Amino acid sequence: MKIKKANAGALTNFEVLDFLRSRGAAKDPTRVIAPIAASEFKVYDYLVESAACNQTRESINELLEKCKKYDLAKAEILNIINIRPASPVEIDPIIEESEKRMGEGIEDLIEMVITVLPPPPNQMNTEEEVVAGDEEIADGEQTTTETTTTTMATEN
Amino acid sequence: MFFLSLIEHTLRLPPHLLDLPLNEAIKGELESLFLDKVLANLGLCISVYDIRSIDGGFVFPGDGASTYTVEFRLVMFRPFVGEIITAKLKESDANGLQLSLGFFDDIYIPVHLMPNPCHCEPDPENKSQVIWIWDYQEQKFPIDGLDEIRFQVQSVSYPPIPVEQPKESKPFAPMMIMGSLDYDGLGPVSWW
Repeated sequence: MKIKKANAGALTNFEVLDFLRSRGAAKDPTRVIAPIAASEFKVYDYLVESAACNQTRESINELLEKCKKYDLAKAEILNIINIRPASPVEIDPIIEESEKRMGEGIEDLIEMVITVLPPPPNQMNTEEEVVAGDEEIADGEQTTTETTTTTMATEN
Repeated sequence: MFFLSLIEHTLRLPPHLLDLPLNEAIKGELESLFLDKVLANLGLCISVYDIRSIDGGFVFPGDGASTYTVEFRLVMFRPFVGEIITAKLKESDANGLQLSLGFFDDIYIPVHLMPNPCHCEPDPENKSQVIWIWDYQEQKFPIDGLDEIRFQVQSVSYPPIPVEQPKESKPFAPMMIMGSLDYDGLGPVSWW
């Protein structure tokens, strides 16, 4: 066995998850039929619980584009994609000397990460509670507009 | 966490696989050879990514099987130093913590890389286990097994295969990851 290239490219968690999904891995009982080994399923189970499970190729490309102006190392961007930090304290272990290099830019970076990458399922529970309050108000307004449009339609 | 590695290997394809299309037969053989095995300095092999080229197909004299030289890429699990990974607590004893990723269990956080200062208390539920508690500004933060723990990779080592092992020692771990919790933002997710 000869190792031609020990490092032929780094993969984000999302890419590995996508690769396993394209071969047929899923959470439901079709596991026995899919051509995936049990050890690969363990990796799939781990990735599906992480922040990678509802990322898309487009969102990752968008994040790469927007990260260019922050001059981050490749390893740091990889960490950010895999972990999806949602607050400055989570960015701290990822980016070395974050205060010196970025200062105010940390807040912008986190805003951008939160808007571009979808939150993972366990983080979504805490974010949903905050958003649910706003949504209830919006629903109330929507129903009033809907009734006005239907009345207009019957009139016409 | 994951890398692609390009490998070339001379593969002997047993004759009972002759009815399968070549690609599938080679893929099956490669999977049984490499999957879930640790390759020195490359990491744990997760999956066969693709097959780049297949050469050969010669049958050597005295052998019933054909031999192919295959070039392929493997998805390897090999975290780099400084990577942040979220894992679940598996065991906690006086030497430190052991974390597990589901597919990989040999992640150790030794005592000197735990958040400073901290102390351990015997676990009331389980006699052999110990709970680690972080003392920060006079507040106690225990590391319990409830939520996931974020750690930073300090080093990845591949201990050489021992010739003899005393009975009842832990099964040999070909790849060990040493992690650290000693930084802002690391430790159980619920702390932050």
